[in-house]
Amino acid sequence: MKSESPNLSAEQSLDIITTMIHQAKGNARRNSFYFLLWGWVVAIANLGMFLLTQLDYSRPYIVWLITIPAWILSLYKGFRQNRQDQIHTHLDSISIALWFSFAVCIFTVIGFGYKINYQISPVILLVSAIPTVVSGVVFRFRPLLIGGILFWLCGIACFLVGAAYQPLVGTVAIAGGYLIPGYMLQSKKED
Amino acid sequence: MFKDLDPLLHSQLRLAVVSILISAESAEFTFLKEKTNSTAGNLSIQLDKLAEAAYITVEKSYKGKRPLTTCKITKKGIKAFEEYVAALKQYINK
Repeated sequence: MKSESPNLSAEQSLDIITTMIHQAKGNARRNSFYFLLWGWVVAIANLGMFLLTQLDYSRPYIVWLITIPAWILSLYKGFRQNRQDQIHTHLDSISIALWFSFAVCIFTVIGFGYKINYQISPVILLVSAIPTVVSGVVFRFRPLLIGGILFWLCGIACFLVGAAYQPLVGTVAIAGGYLIPGYMLQSKKED
Repeated sequence: MFKDLDPLLHSQLRLAVVSILISAESAEFTFLKEKTNSTAGNLSIQLDKLAEAAYITVEKSYKGKRPLTTCKITKKGIKAFEEYVAALKQYINK
């Protein structure tokens, strides 16, 4: 590309602007890693908890410990990705702030679960609806938007069913909210 | 023709750089070089011109042991870009 071009027409100028803005667009596809990682981890934890409850195991929630390596892996990958990125867009910043706030809320709900009679699952599902819907809008990716609405509906369902069946509702929510959109995002061609 | 267009932006490479920076918070030199398909020397000169006009800021640091140059657009740069696009629209609508 040349630096000086006195004969640059208005159309050529516009062409440069649109091409370059397109180059700087965020890469939504790489986020599929997080949706798939957390989709599987949370689905396995929910199903595990349901099975352990059915088997009358006294501490079924112990299965949630599998989220610890997932947190470590997510933080490591996110940090590395951030360092490697040659460009930072506003959408990246929105995404980071959104998911970080989400993580803080989740930890708060878990920490104060005893204050709300351990109705943790429905609250987490309702809170999960927010970043999922916003991510759907930010990435212009409708399956995530629908996934977010599913989280909200499953949150309501969770309040209505008994504690024993809450993990099953959670599995449905995570499958529709993270796993399906995650696989769709992974197979999506860059536009 | 094009009398009202900012001469600093009315150049292929400088316009390309500013267009990338307008849609990003920051971009590295290597990213700009790759996307604008320019040479390091030429890009350096054009970045200096934009920085002198305070349209962008250029920050030099290190990524591990490698030197790292990061560019950001300034408020003045955003305003200049908006005025450039507005002037461009007038030419196209004529």
